[in-house]
Amino acid sequence: MAGNFWQSAHYQQWILDSQDLIQERRPDLEVLTEEEYQKIMIFFTNFIQQLGETLKLRQQVIATATTFLKRFYARNSLRCIDPLLLAPTSVFLSSKVEEFGVISNSRLISTCQSVVKNKFSYAYTTEFPYRTNHILECEFYLLESLDCCLIVYQPYRPLVQYMQDLGGEGEVLQLAWRIVNDSLRTDVCLLFPPYEIALACIHMACVVHQKDCKQWFAELNTDLDRIMEITRYILNLYELWKTYDERKEVQALLQKMPKPTTQPVPR
Amino acid sequence: MDSEWKEKRNNERAKVEELFCYEGCKVGRGTYGHVYKAKRKDSSDIKEYALKQIEGTGLSMSACREIALLRELKHPNVINLQRVFLSHADRKVWLLFDYAEHDLWHIIKFHRAAKANKKTVQVTKGMVKSLLYQILDGIRYLHSNWVLHRDLKPANILVMGEGTERGRVKIADMGFARLFNSPLKPLADLDPVVVTFWYRAPELLLGARHYTKAIDIWAIGCIFAELLTSEPIFHCRQEDIKTSNPYHHDQLDRIFNVMGFPQEKDWVDIKKMPEHGTLMKDFKKNNYSSSSLVKYMDRHKIKPDGKAFMLLQKLLTMDPTKRITSELAMQDPYFLEDPLPTQDVFAGGPIPYPKREFLSDEEQDDKSDNKKKVFMEQSWTNQQRAAATKGGGGGEPASKRVRLGHHQSSIGGQQNFSHMTQRNHPNQQQHPGHVQQGGMMNYTNTQQSSNFNQRY
Repeated sequence: MAGNFWQSAHYQQWILDSQDLIQERRPDLEVLTEEEYQKIMIFFTNFIQQLGETLKLRQQVIATATTFLKRFYARNSLRCIDPLLLAPTSVFLSSKVEEFGVISNSRLISTCQSVVKNKFSYAYTTEFPYRTNHILECEFYLLESLDCCLIVYQPYRPLVQYMQDLGGEGEVLQLAWRIVNDSLRTDVCLLFPPYEIALACIHMACVVHQKDCKQWFAELNTDLDRIMEITRYILNLYELWKTYDERKEVQALLQKMPKPTTQPVPR
Repeated sequence: MDSEWKEKRNNERAKVEELFCYEGCKVGRGTYGHVYKAKRKDSSDIKEYALKQIEGTGLSMSACREIALLRELKHPNVINLQRVFLSHADRKVWLLFDYAEHDLWHIIKFHRAAKANKKTVQVTKGMVKSLLYQILDGIRYLHSNWVLHRDLKPANILVMGEGTERGRVKIADMGFARLFNSPLKPLADLDPVVVTFWYRAPELLLGARHYTKAIDIWAIGCIFAELLTSEPIFHCRQEDIKTSNPYHHDQLDRIFNVMGFPQEKDWVDIKKMPEHGTLMKDFKKNNYSSSSLVKYMDRHKIKPDGKAFMLLQKLLTMDPTKRITSELAMQDPYFLEDPLPTQDVFAGGPIPYPKREFLSDEEQDDKSDNKKKVFMEQSWTNQQRAAATKGGGGGEPASKRVRLGHHQSSIGGQQNFSHMTQRNHPNQQQHPGHVQQGGMMNYTNTQQSSNFNQRY
């Protein structure tokens, strides 16, 4: 679907308000600080990225899976579904939506097992606990929470189109692309249209490479304040990364994270 | 998963069988699943709906694509998804649409039966033109969103019955399952009996590897011809269609018998088709030297100097690169000539076609339906005669009868962002045709975009 973003379910239902987002997260933020919450989201975005790369998925599929996960937790507490289950479920769903082809259940589970064991042993000391039936069950709940909005617009395409217009060198595009990938670790994909995220990333890449883009941005006639707001979200992430060592801290964070109760409450 | 949360969700979830009454009301059965005519149990509205239970359990890739795309597509001539029901207990997926009482397969069948009985069907002069115009408009919209239909045939073109959308075309059953594969492999995956080759473009039969917009246009040409004559223009016996080979000798032979063998100058790239060698080996162009579309249509009393014929010729152009686009076809002089196309294809006149009949609910009838279909297609001419007396017959199985419909929708409901520059909308920029409204038919502008949220 390469339709019109302004008529899409993404635009109409899934561009959220930052105040609402804070409100929705309140139950989790009674247990976690905002920064801890973000670190947990970063961890599971990393997990999806790693899982996707191991499954040799395109970045678009990975980005859509990440967006699914973030949309789910924008409406539900971390307690509702263990993100370690929701992450592979998001990948499973997004690979179907993005026409990548169905990942076989056994391959998905075995890849999860090896990724947990080989890449995230610093976070998990036990084996990946979920099986195919868990993923399939979880998929229906995810689809329901997404209100069946499955087509996600990503910043990659507008990024490439803008860069053609701007006529930048390859290195600006490359850096901007990486910043878009990083932006998946922030809330911007829940808050801003993808073309604005692309513009913010181009702007940041231009600044780093000292490419003069003032005139070009001025001619865009876009709201630069919003571009700057996105930039702030991403810069905050880079600021956080300066002092944050996921390998050391994440295990404690995962301990602290609200968790599902899988046994029915006795009455 | 948290059990308390799960329980809460399960209690809140609307269940299709609690909201809708559809038992014993099956109107369709096919590879896609079952379709029921349904009404709300609480009579909060008295509208009729079509409920489609998707074949199989869980979320197959085709179900996933169908939901993902239908959720985004909004056009008066494209079927509109009202709601999705996920039945967790049996892992079934249900889709809710507005009900469309008619489809072109049934409409054409009715005309053929009448013709055989030497009776005339009372319909307005402009009906065929209105149908074609709306089919083109729906396809133009799909194509502008890079959605290819891939399976256009009369049974997939629905027409709304009495109601607010009376006489409006709804394109249904896009070939979502075939989006990701090569165009031909899926033929083998589908129930072979249900596949029909009559609407397949010549390049597909010669092994083209990808679906294109032009392939949909060819099918529209076939449907247009069938509307004009009540006969499938490229009707062909279909015995050995279980083969996954795209090359189909008899179907090509039929096309050449109507159209003549393509001249080299008319289709330069035919040499590059994967099955060109087989074509040259199997066919002698001299066998078709007396055939032409002009002669074929003339036999059916469609004059070659008329505007209808001239547009048909542009749609049924052998070379896919020279075939007309939906956008250009909509601007054809045919649509400017009296009678002008109307939003209600029946133009306010009576609808002479019968309503859909319910199918028996037993599983066995899909099997026998399929057998029946093979028989029907093989003995088309007999069947035609039979149709005269029995009122039955035709090239589609009862199982493929049904389709779905919908309610108000309009591309005119689109949000106005004209104050922003084009540059801000890479997606819009890509498809400048998207926003354009066809010049002739003024659909009522509804606030579709904003309503969608609430309705969904």
